[in-house]
Amino acid sequence: MTISKEELDLAPAVREFGEDNNLDLSWLDTRGEWGVRAEPSKRGLTLGDIQLGSYGEPGDHSDNMTGRPRGARARNDAYRVGGYKIRSKADIWLSNAHVLYEESLQRQWSSATDVPWNTIKPLPDDIERAQCQLATFLTEVEFVAAEVPGRWLAATTPDYFEPRMFLISQVMDESRHLDVFRKRAFANGGGLMQRPNVTTSGTVGSIDLSNDFTEMSSRLHITGEGSVLTIFRMGELMAYNEAEKTIYRLAAQDEARHVAFGVMHLRYLAETEPERKEEIHCYLDEGEGALVAGNQNPASRDTAQSEALAILLGGGEKNFDEGYRKLMAVRKRQAREYVQRVRSAGFGERFENGRANQELLAYTR
Amino acid sequence: MTNKDNEPQDSARVRSRRRVNQRLRDAVSKETSGDLKDVEIPPKKLDWMKRTYQWGVKADVTDSGLTIGALNVGIYGEIPDRWDDQSRMPRGAYPMPGVPPIGYSISEKRDLWADNAADLYEEAIQRRWTPATDIPWEAIGPLPDDVEAAVCQLCTMLCQHANTEIETLGTWLHQMSYGYHEVKLFLATEMFDAARHFEVFRKRALSNGGGLGLELKGDVKRMIIESRGGWSETALLLYLLRGLFTFTIYRYGSILANNDAEKAIFEKSVQDKARHLSYGLEHLRYAITRQDDKDLVFNNLLGIGERLVARECKEPIVLEPLAVIFGGGVEGAQSGMRTAQRLMSDYVNLYLSSLRSIGIDRSDSLSNDLKSYLL
Ligand SMILES: [Fe+2]
Ligand SMILES: [Fe+2]
Repeated sequence: MTISKEELDLAPAVREFGEDNNLDLSWLDTRGEWGVRAEPSKRGLTLGDIQLGSYGEPGDHSDNMTGRPRGARARNDAYRVGGYKIRSKADIWLSNAHVLYEESLQRQWSSATDVPWNTIKPLPDDIERAQCQLATFLTEVEFVAAEVPGRWLAATTPDYFEPRMFLISQVMDESRHLDVFRKRAFANGGGLMQRPNVTTSGTVGSIDLSNDFTEMSSRLHITGEGSVLTIFRMGELMAYNEAEKTIYRLAAQDEARHVAFGVMHLRYLAETEPERKEEIHCYLDEGEGALVAGNQNPASRDTAQSEALAILLGGGEKNFDEGYRKLMAVRKRQAREYVQRVRSAGFGERFENGRANQELLAYTR
Repeated sequence: MTNKDNEPQDSARVRSRRRVNQRLRDAVSKETSGDLKDVEIPPKKLDWMKRTYQWGVKADVTDSGLTIGALNVGIYGEIPDRWDDQSRMPRGAYPMPGVPPIGYSISEKRDLWADNAADLYEEAIQRRWTPATDIPWEAIGPLPDDVEAAVCQLCTMLCQHANTEIETLGTWLHQMSYGYHEVKLFLATEMFDAARHFEVFRKRALSNGGGLGLELKGDVKRMIIESRGGWSETALLLYLLRGLFTFTIYRYGSILANNDAEKAIFEKSVQDKARHLSYGLEHLRYAITRQDDKDLVFNNLLGIGERLVARECKEPIVLEPLAVIFGGGVEGAQSGMRTAQRLMSDYVNLYLSSLRSIGIDRSDSLSNDLKSYLL
């Protein structure tokens, strides 16, 4: 860390004063870069605005094991207690994590007061049960997304704090999603129903167990949340009141940020470490298989939640067939949006070279 | 604060949303009557329709909206002392057999619970703020170099306090069983608050011609991060030893602040910190009343912890910057140090009274180093 000349000029008089007054004061001239003056932009003083000088973008590798803030002056006697596993930038970085984080702060909402709960009126029993079944499913899977990103926080050097901050905002968002769907289950004379009858976690290749951040992100942000985002965006088709519409709309806003994080991270990795692309394709192979089998995809077939969705989309059990056809329309959209995202992330070749899951591709046609 | 996208919507926005939704409906019905007309429809099972432990539950919407605490009705409000399920089954949901375990290590209520967690969660959301736009950054004007350097050094330390909190919560949160979701939800808000504190003090340090200072050696961080025995023990160190110190500094914000921006930063941060402490104390009290020797365990840990806190406070970068700010510059640092001593005395007193409130009396066993700060 360099110290500017002006800084050193502070020292002699101060040192003398310190000695006279039993003060050390050496910290006045032992510090990080001096003379930094970030200016607020039109969105206030953002994380982007303070990326200046040595406080700007971090290096490709981090040797920060003590947890000091990026750009602070390091000392030799500090304890190396960080134990950070992620110290290579490409493992977690993306170009705009700070923008997504700032956006998340601006768009926080309250499930207690921003949802017009009083617009929920008694619904036919089959609809209410379907709604509660879907809510039960979402209460569970939203928490995969609330828990897993959190595990990577303490494992990542604070030199890469921008993606870390974003992941914290995601933990917050997903906590609210868990909470809002639990609230929906109890808002209208229903209750919780059956927990998912398919395995969402605890098996190899699942979001929970990934040992590599990008593997986790490809499953969580791209395939998992991507498919949930499509459904939330189509919430209008399965909402029976303003409250439900609001829930889906606000949750979709949040999910769009989470998915964007995953896409941008994959893109960064593809650009900076193309030698990892083949490995990432393997994760995508698995992810596509899961999308089709649908463990975490509420729009998959033959599950409690897919039947519930068909009832909601059709307008009741008596219109199940029509609802099921709409569910297939949702799936087609999921598949198309997935392809778009993977292309945008820089892995589109799998759709040209025959590698992509054919069953999934059939949905895009 | 209101959500920008949730304010009374102007008609243009509503109209455009309606148009988008209409297009969506049209596209879907075109598909269902076209390509999907002859799609094979599997026989429906609908076996889930009767699978519920309790049906007919309606939570009350109050003046504070529909809160997470209000959902604890009927069987859904039964919060058992032990949660054996090792998956993410929502509390009160109808279980299904054969779900592989995830591996939660904290499954006893006494090891994480606090009755106030649900309310604190909703309060955190209602009181959210944004460093970028809720702080009047333009109110920061040039300061003498020594004062600016002291503010920046203080900010560097407070960033580290926040970072330790983030890493600690990140380590523990996923070990906590899902049956106690109220606590997990609250701790998510605490982590989000800590991220904001990390952010706001960094922003302050980089916005007025200064820059970050020197890192702490890390005695207290090491103690908190390396505490692995249980969440209650970690919480004791995180909230009582470190948390109360951070809180006391924030509370001195009105005299520390050189301008309205800094004042706002401390005012907002102290509100957040008060919530964290409120959970922490409530949980520690709960833990003590449910385990015979917990107070002895805590006393032992505090005896060591107090010495580490005192050692860290002897580092010049901890109290000297406060003294320089209080004194209005290096020349006033001597008198400023008296205010810093008062801050330390307040911290130690608050520490002792907080401990008393959870049933621990350390007035006789307080470590000499900390005792020496009492005025
Ligand atoms: Fe979500
Ligand atoms: Fe999400």
